[in-house]
Amino acid sequence: MEYMEAIEVSHLIKKFGPLTALNDITFSVGEGETFGFLGPNGAGKTTTIRILTGISSPTSGTATIFGHDIEHDTIAARQSMGIVSENSNVYDDLTAWQNMIFSAQLYHVARKEREKKTNELLTIFGLHERRNDKAHGFSKGMKRRLTLAMGLVNSPRLLFLDEPTSGLDVQSNLIIRDVVTDLVSKGVTVFLTTHNIEEANLMCDRVAIINKGNIAAIDAPERLKKTIQSVQSIEFSFNNNSADQLDELRRLPLVNDAQKAGDKFKLYTQDPSEVIDAVMVYAHTHDLKVISITTLGPSLEDVFIRLTGLQRVGGTVHAID
Amino acid sequence: MPSIDPEGCAKRLSCELSAAWAIARKDMRMYYLKPNIVVSGILFPLFMFLAFATGKNAPPGTLIPGLISITLLFSASSIEPVSIPIERRVKTFDRLLSAPISLHSLVFGESLSGFLYSLGIACLPLALGVLMFSTPIVNAPVLLIAMILTSFCFATLGTLFAAYPTENVGEVMSMLNTVRLPLIFISGVFIPISSMPQIGQKIAFFSPLTYGNDMIEFAYTGKSLFSPLQDIVLLLVFILIFQIAANRLYKKFNE
Repeated sequence: MEYMEAIEVSHLIKKFGPLTALNDITFSVGEGETFGFLGPNGAGKTTTIRILTGISSPTSGTATIFGHDIEHDTIAARQSMGIVSENSNVYDDLTAWQNMIFSAQLYHVARKEREKKTNELLTIFGLHERRNDKAHGFSKGMKRRLTLAMGLVNSPRLLFLDEPTSGLDVQSNLIIRDVVTDLVSKGVTVFLTTHNIEEANLMCDRVAIINKGNIAAIDAPERLKKTIQSVQSIEFSFNNNSADQLDELRRLPLVNDAQKAGDKFKLYTQDPSEVIDAVMVYAHTHDLKVISITTLGPSLEDVFIRLTGLQRVGGTVHAID
Repeated sequence: MPSIDPEGCAKRLSCELSAAWAIARKDMRMYYLKPNIVVSGILFPLFMFLAFATGKNAPPGTLIPGLISITLLFSASSIEPVSIPIERRVKTFDRLLSAPISLHSLVFGESLSGFLYSLGIACLPLALGVLMFSTPIVNAPVLLIAMILTSFCFATLGTLFAAYPTENVGEVMSMLNTVRLPLIFISGVFIPISSMPQIGQKIAFFSPLTYGNDMIEFAYTGKSLFSPLQDIVLLLVFILIFQIAANRLYKKFNE
């Protein structure tokens, strides 16, 4: 069987009047790949997804889904995709069962198959016992699970997942992650947009970072991290941590920035070994004990911050443009 | 020249119709009993009618055709201007826009729910005429065709107005009422078109309600301004125009 990319985007441009939302972006997503699409708010993520799902048309350029041009062969392209939007867009006045069946009808799932699939998915997502309850009584996590179940009712080859676990309870979070992992193992292509960069780091084969309508970087998370080896850090904890120590630690030689998170300090540097020595001296002079210390390479978040032109100031991130 | 696969086309059509029907059923379940639809679709035409009928010395039974006409106008065009802005607000409308169906099926499915609602509601004045006032129906098939076409025409009008990209029901309703309210005065519902001034008569030709009401009058009295065939053709033309316009507006506003 001929190999086909799940998504192929070529020189996509989208303009809204004088504003260029997407500026000639090109990328592809292989079949079975989990692809993360990251970017700050307003970077062009939603516009890209709206074009890839055929809701909006590009000003120029092309996008294909399993070889079907999304603009000219929209219905065939959509038939192979499942869409799970950020907003848990379920019909509150319908029961979980009715929501599922309606979704299956929209995707032309045959009658017998739709009932079988609905039963199966509601069970997987822990909603089968509540299948006859209207969705307006569901918790945020339950609605999210139902949204994902609705997105899978047509057994899609490509799943668009927008912020799948944002703000969810632990149970929903675990169920959703398990289901996505299972889908990936079955060869389903996942196009993931998320603000949770650690989630993208853990789940994605490759990520693209989009900023101001341009693709700033596209690669495997580990390879992206290697591009900014200069952003390394050490993380440690004293037996007695205080916020007052942060300013003093920031002033240690070779420290570029310092953060305090919980009972740990994180110092950014290009030379971790020198900074470890300095921390030990600091601990000794202040009669403190170092109870844990770890050196860390750059995180995907560091890459994201570097490429999107954001800057860490203290514990928060600011735009520098 | 690309070849046409009749089997594939039939399957596609069946899928599109089935999805349109699913959209209509979803709207029936969710919106038929919503208070603002009951007010706009049932109470509004009733009170509007009573306000004008009270001053007339005509026997109540003769007012039934007019009541049916304005009931069809208001009830058919009331569902989508409520349901679509609400669904935009809760983002469920995106589900329909991204489903593997054509925009024509979406517009058709949305219109279908208004159409069926309106047919059901219009049976009330019809039954009132038959049971309470013994209003005779001269031509029942024409009445049925008139009700079907008028209802579908105004359901499509409601879907067309709901294309305006707002999440606010009131905004769509206000725009729609600036069209619906004048229609009842220029379409021969309360004042016969022949009694209207020249300019009014000319404007009446541009109102789909003129042709729906004309057919309903014909069904009850055997008299009409146009032939039922002319009314049917013109109502079909209005339906086609509204469907195409709605399709284009949904595409344009989703950019």
